[in-house]
Amino acid sequence: MQHFARNLMASAVLALMVGCAATGENTDTDQTGVQPDAAAQPGITAQPGQDAYSYAYGQAPSGYDTYDASGGQAGGRPGGQAVAGAGGAVSADRVVYFDFDSVEIRPESKPVIESNARSLASNRRIITQLEGHTDERGSREYNIALGERRANAVRQTMIVMGVSPQQVRVVSYGEERPAAGGQDEQSYALNRRVEIVY
Amino acid sequence: MLLLGVGSFAHAELTIDVTKGIEGGGIPIAIAPFGGGAPEDIAGTIATDLQRTGKFAPQSAGSPADYSVTGQAQSGGSRGYVVQFQLNGAQGSQLLNLSFDVPANQLRPVAHRISDLIYEKITGERGLSGTRIAYVAGGGGSWYLVVADADGQNPRMILRSGQPIMSPAWSPDGAKLAYVSFEGRRPQIVVQDVYNGGRRVVSAAPGINGAPAWSPDGRRLAFTLSKDGNPEIYVLDLAAQTPVRLTNSSSIDTEPVWLPDGSIVFTSDRGGSPQLYRIGSGGGAAQRLTFEGDYNARPSVSPDGRYIAMVHRRGGRFHIAVLDLQTRQFRVLTAGGLDESPSFAPNSKMIIYSNGQRLTAVSVDGSIKQDFALRGNGRDPVWAPYSR
Repeated sequence: MQHFARNLMASAVLALMVGCAATGENTDTDQTGVQPDAAAQPGITAQPGQDAYSYAYGQAPSGYDTYDASGGQAGGRPGGQAVAGAGGAVSADRVVYFDFDSVEIRPESKPVIESNARSLASNRRIITQLEGHTDERGSREYNIALGERRANAVRQTMIVMGVSPQQVRVVSYGEERPAAGGQDEQSYALNRRVEIVY
Repeated sequence: MLLLGVGSFAHAELTIDVTKGIEGGGIPIAIAPFGGGAPEDIAGTIATDLQRTGKFAPQSAGSPADYSVTGQAQSGGSRGYVVQFQLNGAQGSQLLNLSFDVPANQLRPVAHRISDLIYEKITGERGLSGTRIAYVAGGGGSWYLVVADADGQNPRMILRSGQPIMSPAWSPDGAKLAYVSFEGRRPQIVVQDVYNGGRRVVSAAPGINGAPAWSPDGRRLAFTLSKDGNPEIYVLDLAAQTPVRLTNSSSIDTEPVWLPDGSIVFTSDRGGSPQLYRIGSGGGAAQRLTFEGDYNARPSVSPDGRYIAMVHRRGGRFHIAVLDLQTRQFRVLTAGGLDESPSFAPNSKMIIYSNGQRLTAVSVDGSIKQDFALRGNGRDPVWAPYSR
């Protein structure tokens, strides 16, 4: 079972590239999706490559379902999953929900955004990541774009409330990380969301 | 009727069930068990392969049929086994008579090769039994990129990740897969060599890095970046460093794919709803291609350049539809629900897609449907090109 080769080479290259990208970004501060220096992000582990293992086709395991995490943590990588957000439980005061096919901020979501914006504005050293999500209907990559639009809508609202653009980073997971697994309206409503992750 | 391929592979992840074949049940073809004692049910694999094309009705040996297949697989030759077979017409005319020298681990691939030779001889089309598919499995904590034979057997997990994997795309030579990986909790586009497992990050820009698609010559990748504020289409020469931007709109532009002439088809909501547009590889004005309904996205171009398959919403349900670029005819192929991620087979005849739970396939004329029953889930399927 141990004939996989962890791809250290790729990890190193990736870490380098992301490192460079992060440094370069600080120059254009007012663009959407700007990511501050990775080193300044509490709670965000920028260690690409640590999450992924590749295999040569000839040595690749056939029993991938033995790693299936649907039943729990089997094969899950605890280090990669212990971070808040991105699949972990996020408390209700850090989630903004959306209507179907919509990027409008609902009136009832304003207090959630406001309370987070207030703490961000009062401490400029705090960085947050807004994670945009959609329900599973429709095309996956188009949903990535819709999820980004939702996260940007929250970001713009925060900036209007006095948060520095450099404090707010955006990533869209589209339909790849649903909060609820069902294929029904109730689950879809829970999945159309932006999570505010620190 | 033969009992087809049941139980011969304990680790089979996918089984294929033809839920709809051509009218009349297909061409009767009698397939005799191969003698010689090789550790592989070659006749069974051939029968399963031909059955799942939807165009044949395999029969047991001796049954009245339009065609018959006989063969032997015995130890010998320079590599371990000699496999020979004959395809005969109803009047006893010999149509094929071939022999292969193979090692034991190639007995199953040889069975697929024989299926394709039979299929091509009788139908005049290239077969798919010897091809492969890739798809994404897992979710919720572990994601897998899997490469399997086109009959669903022999799945190989070529990537395992604690973060989402999406949008795999085969290079034209079938040796590499480009995909989106969220490792490090941000999206990047990675190219992985299928055979040695080596990986290279080709894009890790701020914002979206999505929807990679290989140019027909395999030298460039088109993909989506949102680093300039909203999703736009870029093209990267893989020998260069900097991607070149093709589109310029304040709307969503994503999901580029290449036509054989080098132009690019993509999804854009610049008209208010997602529709497919076409643009030259150097940019310029985009031409709208789809007008049916308010949601047409995720194009897949047939390798012959004639058809574009897509995700089409109608009455709140998502279907796979196809646009014939020659006749401009638009056809909805599936009953619909959560259908997504269409991908053409290399013979331009079949389209594999996900229905939200399983992988399934439909012929471009809608007449043939194949189910791929996964043990576990599967999505984002992509049919590999013919290997050279």
